[in-house]
Parts: sequence; structure tokens; C-alpha cells
Amino acid sequence: MMNTAELLKRESFIELGARERARSLLDPGSFRELIGPFDRLTSPWLAAQGVVTQADDGVVVARGRIAGQPAVVLAIEGAYQGGSMGEVGGAKIAGALELAAEDNRRGIPTRAVILFETGGVRLQEANLGLAAIAEIHAAIADLRRYQPVIGIVAGTVGCFGGMSIAAGLCSYLIVTREARLGLNGPQVIEQEAGIEEYDSRDRPFIWSITGGEQRFASKLVDAYLEDDVGAMRASVHEFIRMGAPARHRSDREADFLACMERVDAAEQARPETVRAIYQKGL
Amino acid sequence: MQAKAQPDPRWTRRRTEKQRRLAQVREFADGAVLRTGSIVEVLERLIGPGDRVVLEGNNQKQADFLARALARVDPERVHGINLIMPSVSLPEHLDLFERGIARRLDFAYAGGQSLRISQFLQDGLLEVGAIHTYIELYARLFVDLIPKVVLVAGYTADRQGNLYTGPSTEDTPTLVEAAAFHDGIVIAQVNEIVDDAGELPRVDIPGAWIDFVVQADKPFFIEPLFTRDPRLITPMQVLMAMMAIRGVYERHQVQSLNHGIGFNTAAIELILPTYGERLGLKGKICRNWTLNPHPTLIPAIESGWVESVHCFGGELGMEDYVAARPDVFFTGRDGSMRSNRALCQLAGQYAVDLFIGSTLQMDGLGNSSTVTRGRLTGFGGAPNMGHDPRGRRHPTPAWLDLIETDDPLARGHKLVVQIVETFQAGGKPCIVESLDAVDVGKGSGMPLAPVMIYGDDVTHVLTEEGIAYLYKARSVEERKAMIAAVSGVTPIGLTHDPRRTEALRRDGLVALPEDLGVHRAEATRSLLAAKSVADLVAWSGGLYNPPAKFRSW
Repeated sequence: MMNTAELLKRESFIELGARERARSLLDPGSFRELIGPFDRLTSPWLAAQGVVTQADDGVVVARGRIAGQPAVVLAIEGAYQGGSMGEVGGAKIAGALELAAEDNRRGIPTRAVILFETGGVRLQEANLGLAAIAEIHAAIADLRRYQPVIGIVAGTVGCFGGMSIAAGLCSYLIVTREARLGLNGPQVIEQEAGIEEYDSRDRPFIWSITGGEQRFASKLVDAYLEDDVGAMRASVHEFIRMGAPARHRSDREADFLACMERVDAAEQARPETVRAIYQKGL
Repeated sequence: MQAKAQPDPRWTRRRTEKQRRLAQVREFADGAVLRTGSIVEVLERLIGPGDRVVLEGNNQKQADFLARALARVDPERVHGINLIMPSVSLPEHLDLFERGIARRLDFAYAGGQSLRISQFLQDGLLEVGAIHTYIELYARLFVDLIPKVVLVAGYTADRQGNLYTGPSTEDTPTLVEAAAFHDGIVIAQVNEIVDDAGELPRVDIPGAWIDFVVQADKPFFIEPLFTRDPRLITPMQVLMAMMAIRGVYERHQVQSLNHGIGFNTAAIELILPTYGERLGLKGKICRNWTLNPHPTLIPAIESGWVESVHCFGGELGMEDYVAARPDVFFTGRDGSMRSNRALCQLAGQYAVDLFIGSTLQMDGLGNSSTVTRGRLTGFGGAPNMGHDPRGRRHPTPAWLDLIETDDPLARGHKLVVQIVETFQAGGKPCIVESLDAVDVGKGSGMPLAPVMIYGDDVTHVLTEEGIAYLYKARSVEERKAMIAAVSGVTPIGLTHDPRRTEALRRDGLVALPEDLGVHRAEATRSLLAAKSVADLVAWSGGLYNPPAKFRSW
């Protein structure tokens, strides 16, 4: 148990907005924002639908250094439109990742950290958002050939939809207990499967299936951290030091398929059985 | 010892009637224990048309099994009862009126059912006797609302009817007493029946006060009403909390207090260990509390701010934490908390320096109400704690500090603080020209407009703009100007005259954050000692066990 002085000193990462999160991961003084809010690159689609735009479209692209090495941090602001990916925000992430890969081809070892706080595609921008997400996928796959791409899901929004696939493509994934990671959000599953099978308002149940602790125990993520800025920074440094893994998680489709083979579809999946299957197979 | 002579039957009609009714249900009982399946029939035989019936609906604990049973009685046999409830919370409570079983309602608070009460009132299905403050309703149970039947809830009973109500004792002893000692009938639903008193953690209400106990079909419903998720506290609420600490608590040396429910007061609780600590106020303010066990008070308790807390009721998830802090909370020999709403309301009336609470609407004179169009909520404890008890005689520094004259007979004043953001969600102004309550009162044929706290009891109005020290007002006109000065761009705020406001600031009648040494830029969530429910669990050393709906893990 922490004492009260430690509790008061603790610096929450979840509390920080996207810009502060990016700043907290970059070496002090190295933060430089690209296509920042003063460039006013906003969504051209939202205003027509009566939605207030945001000057950075909810995505922060920050250049700087991590552990003295060139880096780019892409932070999604969960407080704006649920962190949804639209045309502009998606292009900012994809473009930055593509430029980082370009850097590497020119001998500059730029790494990327992506802060996922997103429900997935922005429904108001439909296919343009989906196309941007596909570009992000391709760009991660390109960049990770040179440098590790580190994904962080801290909470409170979590990471769902097409962006959960982006998270799955990352070299390393970091989560907290408050994070959730899943292809479909709880309400969508409830709507499709029925409330008996998946009650989206039963919070402990939802976290027992998609929460950070469960994902870590199921080997679907690589680090499970306290909500603490220092711990987050240390973990990012550690993964950068380790470099890109020889085999990425998404290259292990055979192992995952073997795990799937062992699922008994006749039985309601329980958190423990999911853990057991993945722990054995991965 | 000589046997006492039987009293003259002309003076024992209540007792005779009670015995007659009890005799009709003997076949459904084994001693004091009623059969669960017979409860509807029992209620039909025990309750007569037009009876006054107390149904325990407290702020948190609900006698829900008995409420469901009462809603199922035959309206041919039981109808037109005067239902008396501290808090009307469940749909069944209103079903009683829809089915004609109940006709008249005397209550204190109606939270979740406020829309339906308002609708039923319009439809003529329900008459409101009066809207009370809790302690006023209890008081009337001993005067002109003496009940025939009282239906309550507890955790455990033994076969003699001894009752364990534990952390959620709340209103139960008071409600039971009104019937037990005036030949009314008392039935308690419990989650579990044990064989004898030795198996009860402790006896909160003696079996001699209870006629029957009945095992409920499921544990009684209890709502975590006082849990506020720190995640949802805004920087503006932090700013207001800073102003409250500097401009009210520190200035008047407030040592004993009550906090209403709300994010504003939760923010105050959460910045005591940070902001309050930095100001060197620990031990000087906020020592003795009358308060439900708010989870957001945990950091202040753990960092040594809180000497004592007496509670109205319990709070779901706080049981183990409270039991582990008996120096702070009132607990029984068994270790679990004992709450008591009547005594805590009395304490909140007479023994505390300050009440601070929020409201939905306040007018330009400081009158406030949570009754808005179409919503008859009632007020709970706010009118009681939010007034100056004129019977108070003991001095404290804060109470004396409000004396503004040198009259040798002057007395102090309780601090009654309204903490309101000038606008509610949805852009609706909180500070208005006329309370909806005035129209609601007229429209419903009430003899009084349902005002929660009267402006002349309010000593301070605190908004995000500043503090109006109303107790210093020298005239009604000045009072209005002071409130307008802190009312932002609401209709009332727009009437303020900037030069007058300057003068009020100079005279110390109104203070803006900068007048109090409060830096707006410092008002961020980083001042909150706990920023999430998970943080509260960490502060409690794992003893706080938050209900499922507050968990993100």
C-alpha cells in the first residue's frame, strides 16, 4: 500500500489531454507540434452536420526525441468526439507514420508512439475515416520494419473498431487497468448479441473481457502499468531500447488460429477460459 | 409485585383495535415470524381503509419487498391510505396511487419518482399532504401523523423480532418508535432470519418494538446515492472549492460542517489534502462532520483532517472502510457502522457551524428550490440543515464571526452557503428571476410555494464568479445587488451595475477569486487528491469496495 505522501505525489497519465500526454513522453524541451491547432486544419464534414469542429481535429502530431533518439508521438484526444478517426485526423497520423518510415530509409532512425484513445472511425465521415484508418494500418506495417511502433491505450475511452486493428499491428502495446481494447465496443456487441450475453452496463463484466488486466493476462499486450507518467515513460524507453521484435504479434496468425481451434463455441466464453487458451497458445 | 389494574377500555381503543387486527393474522405467523408467501394477505388484514401507513423508503435503504407486497393488495379491501414516506424512490411507491390503494402522500424527498408524482398530482390520483424536511416528518409521526402501521427494512432479525440494521440504520428506529409506543403495528422485512439474538451482530432495535418480521424474497434495495466519481469533477468546480476553502472555511474558522451531495462539495473534500494542506489549515478547519460516508472524503480522512463523522445513513461499498476507522465513524461493538438519520439531522441542525449545498434554481434574493416545472422532488434534509436554528445557544468561532453589530444581545448565525454554478448543463440559468416553484405551488393548489432554502437563511452565495457575503447586507436592495454581482450572465447577473459591484468589493460584501488570494490558473484537476474511483480505492488501502457502476476495472 502506498502512503498518503506517495499518493499525493503520483502523476496520473490518464488525466492528461492528448497534447500533455505527448509532451510527457518526449524528452524535456524537445516537443514540437506539427500541423498544430493554429494551422486550423479541421474536418470539412462536421460543420455541415451541426458538429462543432476542433482546431486540431482531435489528433496531436508531436516531433521530438525519446531517450535522445528522433521520435514522433501521435496522440488521439479522447475528449473530442470520442477520439473518433475522421479524414483529417486520420491523415495526420498516417502521414506522420509515412514520413517516419521515409526518415528511416534516409538513415534517420525515427520511432513512433501512438496514443490510442478512440472508438474507431468517425461515423460522420464514414468511408473517408475508414480509408484513413487503412492508411494508418499500412503505414504502421511499413515503419515497423525499421523501428518499433509503440502503442499505448491508457483510458478512459479505450481503443475499438478499426483502430484496435492498428493497435494490434503495433510492435508493442502498453495498457493500464482502466484501458479497454476490443474490435467492437460494448454497446455494439450488446445490440448484436443481446443483453443476456453481453450487458454493456455491467462494468466489471466488460472490463473482465476487454480490460487492460485481462488483455495483459491473455498476452495480447506487452505491458500493464499503473496510471503513472513516470512508469509510462520508463516503459516506452524500455521498448525503444529493445528495438523492433523479430516477429510481430500480427505475424503470428498461425498461433492465433490454433488458439481459435481450441474455443468451444457451445460454451459462453469466460475471462478465465480466454486467458487459459491464449496463455497456452501464445 | 401487584398486578396493575386493566385500564378502562374507553381509553384503550387503539390497543384493542391493534389486538383485533393481530388476531386476524396469527395463522400466518410462527411467533413473530411471518410467512413470506402470505405477506399480501397479511397486509390486507392488518391495514384498514384510510389508515396512516409509514413505508420505509429512506434516502438509501428501501423496504422494497413490503412495498411490492403493498402494491399487490386488493384495492377493494385496502384503499385511500395516507402514505408517509421519508423518500419516495421506487416505481411501486407510485403504483399504490395508481391503483387507489393510497390517496394522500406525506414525504420529504422524491428523487427518482419526482416526474411521476408531479404527473399524478395533476391527474388527481394523488394528494400531497405536505413536503417536509426529514426531521419535520419524523416529528409529525409523534404529533398529528401518528401511524397505524409501519413497514421497515433491516439486514437480519432473530425469531423474537430483534433487528440488526447496521450501517443502514438510517430512519428505522424513529419510524418504529412512533408505532411501537402508540399501539401501531410494526412489520420489518429482513434479508435473513436467525434463531436467536446471540447470532445477530448486534441489536439495533429491540424485538419488543416489532410485531412481525418477514424474510424478504431478495435483499433490500439500497442505492449508492452519495458516491461521486472524481473523474467528472470539472476545473470550474475546483475553482469554486478553492474559493469555499479560502473565502468561507478559512475566513470564518469553520470547524464542524455538513456537505450536501454534489460535485461541488466533493471537490472541496478532495482538495483539502492538497490546497488546504498548503494553506496550513489542517486541524484548524473541517474537523467534525455530519455526513454520509462519502467516498470522496477518504483522502481527507487518511491525511488526518477529519476527527469525527456522524452519518445519516450508510453508503454502499464503504462498509469495510468505515469499520476499519472507528476513531472517526460511529460504530457498534460488533465493529460495523451505526447511522441514524434523525439524530444526524438534529446534529446537522444544531451542532454544526456550516451547511453548504447546491440547488437547481435560486432567485435574486437567494431563495432556492429543486422543484422545477414538472418535477416535484422534495428537499430531503436541506431545509433543515440549510437554516439558522434560533434555539442554538452554544458559541463557536464561526457562529460568533457572523455577528455584525455591537448589540450586547446579538447572537451568532449558522453559515448557510449556497454553492451554485450560474448555469446548469444545457445552458439553463441556475439563477433566475422567479423560481419555477412559485408556479408549481400555485398550479398544484399547495398553500405554500415549495421553497427549499429561504433567502433570509442564506449567509453566503458562492458561484464561479465570486462570493456574496449576504449576512453583511444592510438592506434587501443591497442583498439583491450582492447576488447580482456574482450571478454572471444570467438574467439576474445582467442587472448588476459594475460600479456598484466595485463598491461592494471594496466594502468586503462581495469577493472575487483575486480578492481571496485564489489564483484561477491554479484551479486544475491536478489539485484533486483522488482523480478517479480507483484512486479512492488506493487511498483507502483497498478497503473501499465501489459498486459495479463506478468501476473501470
